[in-house]
Amino acid sequence: MNMLTPLPDSKWNDATAAHLLNRAAFGGTPDEIERTRQKGLTAAVRDFVDVKADAADVAPPAWAHPRNIRAQRMEIKAAKDRGENFQSKVREVRMMEGDEMIDLRRWWLDRMLNGPAPLLEKMTLFWHGHFATSTQKVRDAYWMWLQNDTLRRNALGNFGALAKKMSRDPAMMIYLDLQQSRQEHPNENWARELMELFTVGIGNYSEQDIGESARAFTGYRIDFTTQQFHFAPFQQDHQSKTFMGRNGNLNGDEIIDMLVSKPACAQFIGRKLWRFFVEDDPSSAVVDSVAGTIRKHNFEMRPVLREIFSSGEFYSERAMGSQIKSPVQYIVQTSKLLNAPAPPPLAAQNAMRQMGQILFAPPNVKGWDGGKQWISTSTLLFRYNFANYLINGDAILPPNLRQPRQGADVGFGRAAQYAEQIKRDPVDVGKLVPADLRAKSHEVVDLLAKRFFQTRPTQKEIDAFAQFLESRGPDITDANLRELIHLMMSTPQFQLA
Amino acid sequence: MKTKTTLQTRRKFLRTSMLGAAASWTLPVFLEKTFFALDALAAEAATQAVTGKDGTILVVLQMAGGNDGLNMVVPYADDAYHVARPRLRLAPDQVLKIDDHIALNPKLAGMKSLYDEGHVAIVQGVGYPNPNRSHFRSTEIWQTASDADRTLSEGWLGRYFDNCCSGADPTVGVAIGEETPQAFAAKNPTGVTFSRPEQFRFRPSEPNNGKMSAEEILFRQLNEAGGGDESGTAATNAGGSIGAISGKTKNDLSTLDFLQRTALDAQLSSDKILAIARKYKSTVPYPQGQLAASLNIISRMIAGGLPTRVYYASQGGFDTHAGQINTHERLMGEFNDAVSAFVADLKQQGNFDRVLLMSFSEFGRRVQENANGGTDHGAAAPMFVLGGAVKAGLFGKYPSLTELDRGDLKFNTDFRSVYGTVLDRWLKAPSQTVLGRKFPGIGIV
Repeated sequence: MNMLTPLPDSKWNDATAAHLLNRAAFGGTPDEIERTRQKGLTAAVRDFVDVKADAADVAPPAWAHPRNIRAQRMEIKAAKDRGENFQSKVREVRMMEGDEMIDLRRWWLDRMLNGPAPLLEKMTLFWHGHFATSTQKVRDAYWMWLQNDTLRRNALGNFGALAKKMSRDPAMMIYLDLQQSRQEHPNENWARELMELFTVGIGNYSEQDIGESARAFTGYRIDFTTQQFHFAPFQQDHQSKTFMGRNGNLNGDEIIDMLVSKPACAQFIGRKLWRFFVEDDPSSAVVDSVAGTIRKHNFEMRPVLREIFSSGEFYSERAMGSQIKSPVQYIVQTSKLLNAPAPPPLAAQNAMRQMGQILFAPPNVKGWDGGKQWISTSTLLFRYNFANYLINGDAILPPNLRQPRQGADVGFGRAAQYAEQIKRDPVDVGKLVPADLRAKSHEVVDLLAKRFFQTRPTQKEIDAFAQFLESRGPDITDANLRELIHLMMSTPQFQLA
Repeated sequence: MKTKTTLQTRRKFLRTSMLGAAASWTLPVFLEKTFFALDALAAEAATQAVTGKDGTILVVLQMAGGNDGLNMVVPYADDAYHVARPRLRLAPDQVLKIDDHIALNPKLAGMKSLYDEGHVAIVQGVGYPNPNRSHFRSTEIWQTASDADRTLSEGWLGRYFDNCCSGADPTVGVAIGEETPQAFAAKNPTGVTFSRPEQFRFRPSEPNNGKMSAEEILFRQLNEAGGGDESGTAATNAGGSIGAISGKTKNDLSTLDFLQRTALDAQLSSDKILAIARKYKSTVPYPQGQLAASLNIISRMIAGGLPTRVYYASQGGFDTHAGQINTHERLMGEFNDAVSAFVADLKQQGNFDRVLLMSFSEFGRRVQENANGGTDHGAAAPMFVLGGAVKAGLFGKYPSLTELDRGDLKFNTDFRSVYGTVLDRWLKAPSQTVLGRKFPGIGIV
C-alpha cells in the first residue's frame, strides 16, 4: 500500500507551510511562512524541487582551483631527506589548508542562508552525510570543495549516477583508500563501504562480494599534479569476477548498476531520506512506500522528493515540530530568525565543532547519526550559550568561544587575531519588534513566540515571558528584548523544527 | 533497585537545589512520568549503581599525537635500540632502571617511585592487528575499540554507558576538554564535557553578581519541568503522556521529553559541578600545564563525590616528527609531574584505592629515528595503568626491536585486553557486551 498519498488542500495552512520550510529548507520567518502558504502546496513544493538548471553553478571560493600537490610534497620530502627544517613549510601548508577550510565552511553556510535554492543545499548536506568524507584525512580544501560541487550538481538527479561520480571523486578515493587499490593488492575499504553504507546496507552482501568488487574498482587513480581523477588501465584487474551471482570481467560502474538494481538499495536510500527529512523511526510501511517511489522514478531524486513533500505522511502530527535541529540547521535557521548575518566563520566553525557537526569533517564514514545524538547536557548548554553570543554579540561571549583551538582546522598562531575574528554586533531587535508594540508585553511575547517556536508555548509560559518583560520595565530597552529572545532560545522547545 | 537510588538522589537534589528550595515546588506530573519511564527502562537492563562514596573510578588519559613508547619505557639493554636511535637514545646511566632490560624515561621519577611502591602496571607491546598509521583513524580505533577494518560509531565508554549505566546520573562520564571524546559517543548520549567548571553553566545575557537574576530564575523554570508548569497541563505541554509515545519504541522517550530531561540533567549537573568546584580545593600543589589542571579538576570532583565512573583527560603534542628530544622530555616531565600530584592528592583524600588511571596513545613511533631528529608514526607501545589497587609490574612482553612490521614494533597485547580487564575487574561491567567479544584478561588489577 502506498502511504504517500497527497496532503488534502484543507490541511495546507501556516503550520504545514512552516513544516515544509523547516525540512525542505532551513526554516522560515513568519513572512516567508505566509508567502509559502499563499502559494499553495503544489506551487510551494514545485519552487523547492524544480530549481533552475543553473542553480548549481555557484561561484567557487577564490582559492578553489587545482594545484600541483606532487611538486609541493616532493619539495617537503626533499627538505626532510636533506635533514633540513621542513616543519615551517609543513606548517605553512597546514595553515593555508586550515584557512581554506574555514572559508569553505563559510561559503557553504552562506549558500544555505542566502542561496536561491535551499533544497539543493539541504540535499547536498544529505549526500555529504551519506557519502561522508572528512578533511581530516583528505587534507585538501580544493578536493573537499570539488566533492561538494559534485554532490550539489547531482543532488536532485540520479542516485546511481551520483554513486559512480563518487567512485571517481578524489576526496572519496583518498578517504576510502581507493586510489591505493591496485591489481595485486585490491583495497577493500571503498568496496565494503559502498555496500554497507552507500547502497544496500549490511546483511545484503557477502565477504566474497567485497573481495570481488574491490578487484572491479582497481585502476582508479588520482593525478597529483592536476588533482583530478584518472584511470590507469594497467592497474585494472581484467580477470573474471563473481559478484552477487554474476560472472564476468565486471568493472566498477557495472558493480554500482548491479547494487542499485537490488531492492535493498531503494529501501536503504528510502529509509535514510525519510529519516533525514521526516522522522527518526520510520515505520516499515512508510519505508516500503518511499522505496517503491524511488524505484518507480528510477532513482531520480527530484520526483521522489516531490512526492515526499506533497504527501500527507510528511505532514503527520508525529513528524511536525519533532525533529531536533542539526547544528548546521541551528546556525542557519537561527540567523534567519534573528534577521542577522551568519556568525563569523571562525565562530561558526568552533560552534559546529562543539555542537557535534563540523561540515567537511563528519566523525567517520557513517556520517552523522543525527536525532537525539545531537543533544547531550554539554551540547545543549552550549546551544544556550551560543544563542547568547548570536543575540548579544561578542561582548557577552561564553569563555569557551573565546579560546582558539590549536590544530590544522583552525590554523596555527592565530590566537592574537582570534578576538578580532569573532566580533559580532548585537542583533537589531528593532527589526523584529515594532517600536509601538514595546509597551505591550503580551503582544511582544506573542509576536516573538510565533517567530521562534514551532508550537505555541503554554499560556503559563507566555505569562511567564510577559511577566519577565514587565519586571524589566517600565521602559523596555533593546537589551531587555534580547534577554527575552535569549530565554526563548534557551529552551528544549527551541531545539525542535 | 539501584536505579531507584539514583532517581531518589536526583529528586532529592532537585528539591534541595537553589531554586527547589526557593520555590518549594513538588515534582511535576510530567517529570514523575519521565522518571517512571526511565525507571522501567533501567529495570530491564543490567544497571550499574551510582558511584556513591565507595565505587570504583576509571580515569582515562589520552596522550594525543602518538607517544614514543620506546623513549618512555626504554629497552636500554638492547643494542638495537642504541643503533636505531643514534640521536634520540637515552643512555643506560640516565634512565630509571626497572630490571636488566627495561627502564623508565629519566623524567618519570614519580612514576618510578610509584612503581616501586607497587602501584603501577606497565603493559608492554600494546596494539592491534593491521595497525593503521593515521592519527585520525588509529585514534578512532582506540576510541571505539573496533577492529582495524571496521568502523564503529559508538565509543567503547559510550557502549559501557549505554549497556551498564542507563538511568544513571549524566555525570557518570566526565570529560575534561572542549570536545567530547569519541570514546563517549553513545546511542543515548550521556556524560558531560567541560574544560573549566565555571564554563559548564547557563550564562545569562546580563552578568549577575552572585544573586540569581530574574532572567536566570525564568531560565530555570523553563528548563526544569517542561516549562515550569506544575499543574496537570504539563503532560499536554510535553506532547502527550509517555504511554502514548510511538508504540514501537516503548522504552523510548519522545523527542521533546528527551530534550526536557536533558535540559533538567544539564542544570542539575551544572549546579552540582559548580558547587563542588567551589567547595573542594586541593591542598596538594599541582604543576602548571593543561594536564595538571585537568587532573586537578578531576580530583576535586572525586573529593566532592560526583557520581562519576569514568573521567577523561588528555595531553597533546606527542607527534614528534622533528627535534623530538626536548619536546618528548618536556612531555614526559609534564605527564610525570601532573600524575604524581594527582596521586598525592588522591592519597590525601583517601581515594587512591578507588581510582585507576589508564594512559593510552593512538600509536607508538617508528623504531628508527628519522633525519630530523624525530620519529615517524609507528605501531605498538606501552600503556600505563596505575592506582591504589593496581597490581604492579611489567605485563606482556617488550616487542623485538629487530623483528619489525614495516619498521614498527609488533604488538603482543591487544589494547582491548586492557579495556576488557578494566571493564570486567574494575568497573565490574561485562566486557563482552561492551567490546563485542571476550579478550584475554591481564593480571593488572
